[in-house]
Amino acid sequence: MATVQVSEAEKVYILHGIRDDLRVDGRSCEDYRHMEIETDVVSNTDGSAKVTLGHTVVLVGIKAEIGKPRPMVPDEGYLEFFVDCSANATPEFEGRGGEELGTELSNTLYKVFNNKRSLDMKSLCISPGEHCWLLYVDVLLLQCDGNLYDAISIAVKAALFNTKIPRVHISADDEGGKEIELSDDPYDCVRINVENVPCIVTLCKVGHRHVVDATLQEKACSVASLIISVTHKGTVTCVRKVGGGSLDPESIFEMTEAGKRVGKALHAPLMKLLQQEESLGKKRQKVGFLG
Amino acid sequence: MSPMKLCVPGDKLCSTEDCIPGTGVYLRHGYIYSSLAGYVLRKNEGEELPVISVVRETETQLLPDVGAIVTCKVTSINPRFAKVHILYVGSTPLKDRFRGTIRKEDVRATEKDKVETYKSFRPGDIVLAKVISLGDVQSNYLLTTAENELGVVVAHSEAGAQMVPISWCEMQCPRTHAKEFRKVARVQPEYLQA
Amino acid sequence: MAGLELLSDQGYRLDGRKATELRKVQARMGVFSQADGSAYIEQGNTKALAVVYGPHEVRGSRSRTLHDRAVINCQYSMATFSTAERKRRPHGDRKSAEMSLHLKQTFEAAVMTQLYPRSQIDIYVKILQSDGGNYSVCVNAATLAVIDAGIPMRDYVCACTVGFVDETPLADLCYAEEGGGGSSLALALLPRGGQIALLQMDAMTACKGVSKVLDEVVRQHLQDVSVLTRE
Repeated sequence: MATVQVSEAEKVYILHGIRDDLRVDGRSCEDYRHMEIETDVVSNTDGSAKVTLGHTVVLVGIKAEIGKPRPMVPDEGYLEFFVDCSANATPEFEGRGGEELGTELSNTLYKVFNNKRSLDMKSLCISPGEHCWLLYVDVLLLQCDGNLYDAISIAVKAALFNTKIPRVHISADDEGGKEIELSDDPYDCVRINVENVPCIVTLCKVGHRHVVDATLQEKACSVASLIISVTHKGTVTCVRKVGGGSLDPESIFEMTEAGKRVGKALHAPLMKLLQQEESLGKKRQKVGFLG
Repeated sequence: MSPMKLCVPGDKLCSTEDCIPGTGVYLRHGYIYSSLAGYVLRKNEGEELPVISVVRETETQLLPDVGAIVTCKVTSINPRFAKVHILYVGSTPLKDRFRGTIRKEDVRATEKDKVETYKSFRPGDIVLAKVISLGDVQSNYLLTTAENELGVVVAHSEAGAQMVPISWCEMQCPRTHAKEFRKVARVQPEYLQA
Repeated sequence: MAGLELLSDQGYRLDGRKATELRKVQARMGVFSQADGSAYIEQGNTKALAVVYGPHEVRGSRSRTLHDRAVINCQYSMATFSTAERKRRPHGDRKSAEMSLHLKQTFEAAVMTQLYPRSQIDIYVKILQSDGGNYSVCVNAATLAVIDAGIPMRDYVCACTVGFVDETPLADLCYAEEGGGGSSLALALLPRGGQIALLQMDAMTACKGVSKVLDEVVRQHLQDVSVLTRE
């Protein structure tokens, strides 16, 4: 379900609740719903993560391929994003129905993640001007229950954390050309530094207040929302207004402040969780969709 | 009664000589097979043989069926018919809305030729109706309100207030006291539980 | 067989299975709450998700409506990261279209569509990880999802692929075996009635072989899926 219809009475109920800092599911305005994260769920990828936020379920798979660097930045690798709004999420996405939303999401992700400040792009370079690592970040939307941006960004961060790129050895062959050799050892790999990777916090303006992690019902009551990408230090890297309505400058300022606060608080437990999971290593019981 | 037995689709339950098939089962070559995964339920209903059916914990999807009383919302009207969305079948809400049509001739039982849809329904009205046909290739579900118990149950006046029925064909706005025409239903007490 | 020996002299396969042994099957029903029915299945390293929506009003053009039974609408797609080499599009290519059609035909045979006239049942299957036998895993996942949705079926459908190496049928091929060049047969059946809902053979198998292969699949899968659905 990508959208829901809300009756006038429901709208009033939700609005009044938010005014009093008490939402329909008992959360306060700056609380997230229950979230579950699991990494390394698809073995065909170099890194993957599954995130469940409320009823929203997203799966992210990252595949690393060797490509040519962009001419403008010959010493950097880059990321490609693709969001598949599958028909599993809602029948409306069947055929080409999900493409519009998918493009919107992937363009935003591109803006948020594909820059020097989020990721060390230089570490993805193999030989300047010739070869670099190209990370295909594929997002699969399996169930929509609001707040897609946040769930996807957390899943992308977790998947990047989980990504293992094989180490390469460059050797010159007889004719002076370069030969690239991939390491066969699965443990001989490069990890990506995700320290500065931001997370997106979506703030929905409902009535005179704004809420974090809006459900579909709450989203239906809001005029517009602001997506803010925040790093662990609280630096805002990207701000975007989405939705049909308009916002006044003052509330944008307030929302940015709230986003910074919430985003900063989100990173620490996320990294702790990812490291904890990583430390379990092979002992970890993989749950995936079976749990 | 035997203890609850689990079954999956395709399980042979019994012969037609032992039981009468109920819901969630089907017949093949004189035997009753399960068509759902659930519990086998045998019930004696005064007949010679018990009725066997397969039930699930969760309610299965319902579709409007001929003869069913449905609750619908009027979406548009024109001189020949009113278009509605079916929201409930009996007392079960539908997950998806189905479209239906109430033709002019099916609005009331008497003086069918004098019916005007504008004087019977308005968009937004909540109407109780009965399914008379699943429709043909061109049309949706065909519904009727040609019974005293069927017709408009909830309507809002032009002023926006919920109106009170005053006769079988009129409703009044409590705020402006303006009267508006509707095909009003005489709601049966059993439907007034909410 | 070129390059790879699919069946060793001792009767073991590449991954150490016996000829008629299936891969490890794990499944769960009711994975998602928003869909009417959903299921997840793992068969070895092939993983698939299936969801069912419906029965609901026919979407899109009304001419598709069948007035005596339900329309079964299927979409098969693969996650872009499901294969070893990245796929560019999750669906819309020829192979997915063919798979969708096969799925539709298979489930038209099994679902009691006459109970839901003028409506539509959507079955969407997504391969999350592909390691051979995609079609059969999809059918198995979709069956569980249909059961979860509480849509009446004559029988559950189960499917399996079989290859044929030196007169020996191999059940439930993995990707390496599928690519090994031997013949392969995909089969979906309604085990109780012993009816076959889909039969698709790629490459030639000796006629004598077919019945042997069929028999193998029937027996194997009968036990297997019945155990599963009882969970």
